[in-house]
Amino acid sequence: MPTELESLLRPKVSDAPPFPAKFMQLADGTTMVIRSVERDEIPLLLEYIQPLIKVERDYYDIVAARVFAEVLAQYVYRIQDEYIFIGQINGELATIVNGRTLSPGIGVSLHTIAFKRGLQIGAHGFAAKMEYHMDFLNQDEVMIVAESPIGFRKFLIGYDLEKRPQVIHELGGVPSYALTRKTFDKVRGTLVTGRRPVPKDLLDKAKAEILPPSDPPVMAGDILAASRSVYDSTGSAFRGQRPKQEMGVK
Amino acid sequence: MQEVYIIGIGITSFTRLDFPLYEIAAFPAMDAMKDCGITEIDHLFVANLGSGRINRSTGLASAVVDTLSLTPAGAESVENGPASGASAIKAGLMAIASGMHNVVMITGAERMREANALDATEFMATITHPLAEQIYGVTLPAMAAMFTRLYMEKYGVTERHLAMVAIKNHHNAMFNRFAHLHQVITMEGIIDSPEASTNNPYVAEPLRFFDCCPVSDGGACVILANKEIAKKIKKPLIRIAGVGQATDLHTVHERDNPTDLLAVRRAAAQAFKMAELKPKDVNVAELHDAFTILEIAESEEVGFFKKGEGHIALENGVTSLKGKLPINTSGGLKAKGHPVGATGIAQVHEIVLQLRGDAGERQVKNARVGFTCNFGGFGNNVVCLTLVRED
Amino acid sequence: MVEEKSLLAYKCKKCGQLHYPFRMRCKKCGNLSQFEFDTVPLPKNGKIVTYTYAYNLPGDFAVPKLGLAIVELENGMKVTGQMKIANPKIGKAVKGKIEIVRNEGFTERYGIVFY
Repeated sequence: MPTELESLLRPKVSDAPPFPAKFMQLADGTTMVIRSVERDEIPLLLEYIQPLIKVERDYYDIVAARVFAEVLAQYVYRIQDEYIFIGQINGELATIVNGRTLSPGIGVSLHTIAFKRGLQIGAHGFAAKMEYHMDFLNQDEVMIVAESPIGFRKFLIGYDLEKRPQVIHELGGVPSYALTRKTFDKVRGTLVTGRRPVPKDLLDKAKAEILPPSDPPVMAGDILAASRSVYDSTGSAFRGQRPKQEMGVK
Repeated sequence: MQEVYIIGIGITSFTRLDFPLYEIAAFPAMDAMKDCGITEIDHLFVANLGSGRINRSTGLASAVVDTLSLTPAGAESVENGPASGASAIKAGLMAIASGMHNVVMITGAERMREANALDATEFMATITHPLAEQIYGVTLPAMAAMFTRLYMEKYGVTERHLAMVAIKNHHNAMFNRFAHLHQVITMEGIIDSPEASTNNPYVAEPLRFFDCCPVSDGGACVILANKEIAKKIKKPLIRIAGVGQATDLHTVHERDNPTDLLAVRRAAAQAFKMAELKPKDVNVAELHDAFTILEIAESEEVGFFKKGEGHIALENGVTSLKGKLPINTSGGLKAKGHPVGATGIAQVHEIVLQLRGDAGERQVKNARVGFTCNFGGFGNNVVCLTLVRED
Repeated sequence: MVEEKSLLAYKCKKCGQLHYPFRMRCKKCGNLSQFEFDTVPLPKNGKIVTYTYAYNLPGDFAVPKLGLAIVELENGMKVTGQMKIANPKIGKAVKGKIEIVRNEGFTERYGIVFY
């Protein structure tokens, strides 16, 4: 009984092709490897994503909450045709990007979340997704929305995507933009980055372990962080924290 | 004329600050008053660009003087585009030089990040000519880019030279705990690598992402006094020996020679003449590098290097931290950040640290003469200051 | 009959100095009487002095990039304008047309675009 019920609730096994890992050099000279995650790596990823749900800045809270749900769904077999890629720098988690197939020929880009700022890491991750949809899944279109103004300006305006107001993206409410094969072929030169194959020692290091991000976005704990008494690489101080602190909420 | 001394300094981190604008202006003022031990301020000037539009708050100086409990002292805002900071210092200097006041506080602040990136870009573009430039959608990076293209064509400056400015300033900022960006960048990562076009995308060709300064919130403060009061403070005597200001035609296209920054040349000449010093006497300088090309161009126009040779001096390491004439030891606008109203004051803050010997790991040995250039508009209103240590 | 649009230069009635854009007081003779300027249509053709493609534009543009140029017109005066040229170069000859260059809310702005 339970087995039959479970097989009803599970998605069909995906026949999507694998994503060959790639690597790229960042502005500070370090190298990032982008690869797909194995199922057994997901519990560790969830641990790294969870703290970001509390960061009320740059829409980290909503994006982290949604990514947590999408990645968890993959682990417990409750989402169809999702792919999850991660970017690692010296083994440390730098970015998670994900998406899925909506219907044959049409993909959906879900999220891009960066654990390190200032190095265009999100841009590299997003480009890897678009390459996967177009060149590996051979889809005709990818539906995209942006939750953050940063993403909106960079990708939706920056690549002149087509507006599809009649398509409600599954992230809710907002009309979608679409990356079509025609646009993709036009901007492929500037959009798609990175090189293959990944040198063996680099790939082995990335696959060995996903290390925790060394400098993730955090909420500043001290409202007087104007003098950076509480260090935060993404830099900000929140007066909103004081009422929470006074109420004893951590 | 009375001689004018800098007796106290203060600064915030340049980053994103979620405090009201008047508090961002007041916070460094508290530090500056602690620095000199003086709380009796005769007058206050506040330098700021966006309070009315971005922060929906006008009469900023009145709010600042109140939050610092400095009432009933007089207070006004000074606005001169990105040169607001140095203009406010000039106003304070004139108040003391004339003998009208004894102690004047100048604080500058900006909270650009209260607006989103698109609004901030549009707001900064309002400094261009409304009818002949703004209607076309020119942005400040676009103006700087057109200027850069001409500089590349005429003097052989390359993208590599621009990148050298950014790399140098990012390196310096690693030693400045108040800087906005603590991020090492490499020539390989931003120019040579196959991924450079993503790491360092064009903002306005030929200027790239790492050629443009970030959008920062922040505040900085200096307190000026006459000689009698300055001598009572137990700190090195730092005097504003010279100030110069000049304007140029508003639209870039109307200037006879679009690669010349005549306002910089004239303002700098005035500042040196008043101080009775020459460019070669300067030990350390803060030049306004909102775009990396400007550090190169200004270093020539103020007289440090011959016109068209600034990039060669840069290449030879003359302007690096350990060079003969370090420029932008704070990280410059590029890495330290550019809260527009505070920038001119932050430049002076850095020079005072250097002349006092308090610049820590970025200290220039035996710095006795410092120079700042605060660049307003796109080169049409420039204020320069020469600072000397007297003891 | 549709009137042909041009950019206008302002000619000082006293000394003949041309100005673009408008200036209240003549930059050559310092003429203090206002309204002492004649309008003179500017030529539309010239050559590129410098140019750029700008990204990260103000919100009302909603296009990824915009070509801008400073052009020296046939009469020696320089203007800033938009540019729609595939392979621009410093010194290239260009022809200008007056078109709508920006829509600020409900206000249409006319300006020069170089082809």
